[in-house]
Amino acid sequence: MANQMFQQIDKEFITRGVRRCSTPRFILWLAPWVALLVFGVYSAGLCLVKGLNQTNMDNRYAFGLWIFVDLTIIALGAGAFFTGFLLYILKFKELKAVINSAVVIGLVCYSGAMCALMVDVGQPLRAWFTFWYPNVHSMLTEVTFCISCYLCVLFIEYLPIVLKNRKLREVPGFLVFEFEMHKLIYVLAGVGTFLSFFHQGSLGGLYGVLRGRPFAFREHIFIWPSTFFLFIISAAAVGPSFLICTTALVEKITGKRLVKDRVFDLLARISGILLSVYVLAKTIDTLIWINRTSPGLGFTASQYYDWQPFGTWILFAEIVLCGLMPALILLTPRLRVRRAWLISGAFLACCGIALNRYVQTVQTLALPTLSFDKFLSYTPSWQEVGTFLGVLAYGVLVYSFSFRYFQVFPEERELKIEVRTRQEEEPALAGRF
Amino acid sequence: MFPWNYGFHFGVASYIFLGAFYTVLIVVATTVANALWRANRDLSKGKVEDIRWHSDFHDLSAADRSCRHVLTGEFASRECPHAFNCGECETHAKLIALHPLGQAAEPEAEIFGMSFPLDRMYHRGHTWARPEADGTVTVGLDDLGSRLLGTPDAVDLPKPGTHVHANGTAFRVHRREADVRILSPVDGEVVETGGVDRGFFLRVKPIDGVMDMTPLLRDAEVKPWLMRELERLQLALTMEGASTPSLADGGVPVADIAAAYPKTDWDAVCGEMFLEP
Repeated sequence: MANQMFQQIDKEFITRGVRRCSTPRFILWLAPWVALLVFGVYSAGLCLVKGLNQTNMDNRYAFGLWIFVDLTIIALGAGAFFTGFLLYILKFKELKAVINSAVVIGLVCYSGAMCALMVDVGQPLRAWFTFWYPNVHSMLTEVTFCISCYLCVLFIEYLPIVLKNRKLREVPGFLVFEFEMHKLIYVLAGVGTFLSFFHQGSLGGLYGVLRGRPFAFREHIFIWPSTFFLFIISAAAVGPSFLICTTALVEKITGKRLVKDRVFDLLARISGILLSVYVLAKTIDTLIWINRTSPGLGFTASQYYDWQPFGTWILFAEIVLCGLMPALILLTPRLRVRRAWLISGAFLACCGIALNRYVQTVQTLALPTLSFDKFLSYTPSWQEVGTFLGVLAYGVLVYSFSFRYFQVFPEERELKIEVRTRQEEEPALAGRF
Repeated sequence: MFPWNYGFHFGVASYIFLGAFYTVLIVVATTVANALWRANRDLSKGKVEDIRWHSDFHDLSAADRSCRHVLTGEFASRECPHAFNCGECETHAKLIALHPLGQAAEPEAEIFGMSFPLDRMYHRGHTWARPEADGTVTVGLDDLGSRLLGTPDAVDLPKPGTHVHANGTAFRVHRREADVRILSPVDGEVVETGGVDRGFFLRVKPIDGVMDMTPLLRDAEVKPWLMRELERLQLALTMEGASTPSLADGGVPVADIAAAYPKTDWDAVCGEMFLEP
């Protein structure tokens, strides 16, 4: 009886006209992720209580798995600001179909990254120091301010999605606030774009200013190193690709069509164009670095690739395999129209950006820079991996709840008709009236 | 960095960074405060029903938002930009001036055995409004709406004296798992309530002596609209997993369609047909 009542209440929160799995099945889906989250919280708790000695990082290897994951998920979550920018500022109306999903992904990525950073910094009780006593000479200050502000913006952007829930909008105050907030959302989209541009750039700039690390150091354009711009372009390029991957994954898991093909096509085109620009810029940057920047600092570029496993293959994989190739796939209409090619292209683009962030973080620190330095290797401890898995589980849980109870894909209901009518041998309406 | 920090001194960088940071904070805070202020203003002005309708209309599929002049063939396709409030529409006024609506040949439109008397006007949410001699307007469910809900399990009617708003909730009907809000075709004050057996649900009187019936369908518009509604019903039933229904020549929809599809998600079908996405 209580079980039935619970299921009835659960059903009342689900959007009208969309099908969701039964409550027990949903709980079954959540169970392993909750277990993983608990494991993650335990791992993070150990790091916070016992200190960073729980990790395999040290004073020399200060950036590890967490920073690599942070940079990657923040780049992948860039779909939120970039889709918002395209929809609300440049008026790409088709993207209305994925904007809610982009906001949820953005929120998950940014809040997850903030959680991991909090563990990484290690003293959460002093987290406010960074705001009260910011270091004017550190790019991290800009990163902290921008990410914190943008996370607030994402929370505010997420609010209308929550308040649009069928049951919640029965409360007049929620309905009216959601309606009015939605009318002003373009302001937040603009602010989000501004903040994202700067913090993506600042994250890149962090590496480009490391004069003592010739592998990462880059020439400056005005006051910013080239990595500042490369990070912005790459995040904007890969955001739509990650949206393609997540949407396709959710479609696969739920067995539903959620977005029209033309939306996938548009996302792929945008991603392809930006990825091409990125590959071009990255190639030019690499050539300048090989021929001028690095020799100027006393290193030939080949020296960096003498250390295994970081051979030249990694440069090839980053620029050609996961850069040029997906760009070509996503830009070729005949290829991107096929779902397998589309997803492969989008997935490769995401891998390319992950590889770039990995190289910038891990390879930079592994390489020796002084004559007495040694090549260092680093393997994350289980506590580090556990914290990362916790962030992953948190993301899946938030997305699962959002997908079940909110209108993450507004076209879902409409597409149900197309799917069903397509299944009929004879069109349902042909010649009826 | 900040004026309260030790060793702080103003420079160009401080101006740029602090200027940008505080501008962002002010913009975000102002936006949220503005939304809260507007929401409070809407609540105090009693705009909840109007906003609910606009929000629902925004969520309707493009086909469901089509202009009434598509029904009469004046446009091949056109989405209504005024949430079915034709009184605000300049295009509607121009078209009506150019081509006044023709009187229907029959006093009643009958389609597939359903009766749509033309002495009244129809709202696209399946209610009708009939002006009475005493200046009041009777509101009821049209034949298709009645068949969709069959014999309701419960009906929540507003009390006499309540104000109903055009496109706002007139009353609620519960049938099986469906809890449907029925849209009011007109603005007014409820003076009498009816019920399923009485053939009407509300009798309302105009608040300022005037009742705007411009948005309601009438005469020659009714038949093509109903044809479209049957098409929508078929789609809704197909979408909800009912076997593809077809109306063979001479067949008529049953009096209680809900009972004919016991396994179909009736809440979803009613949401689609009564414009409550």
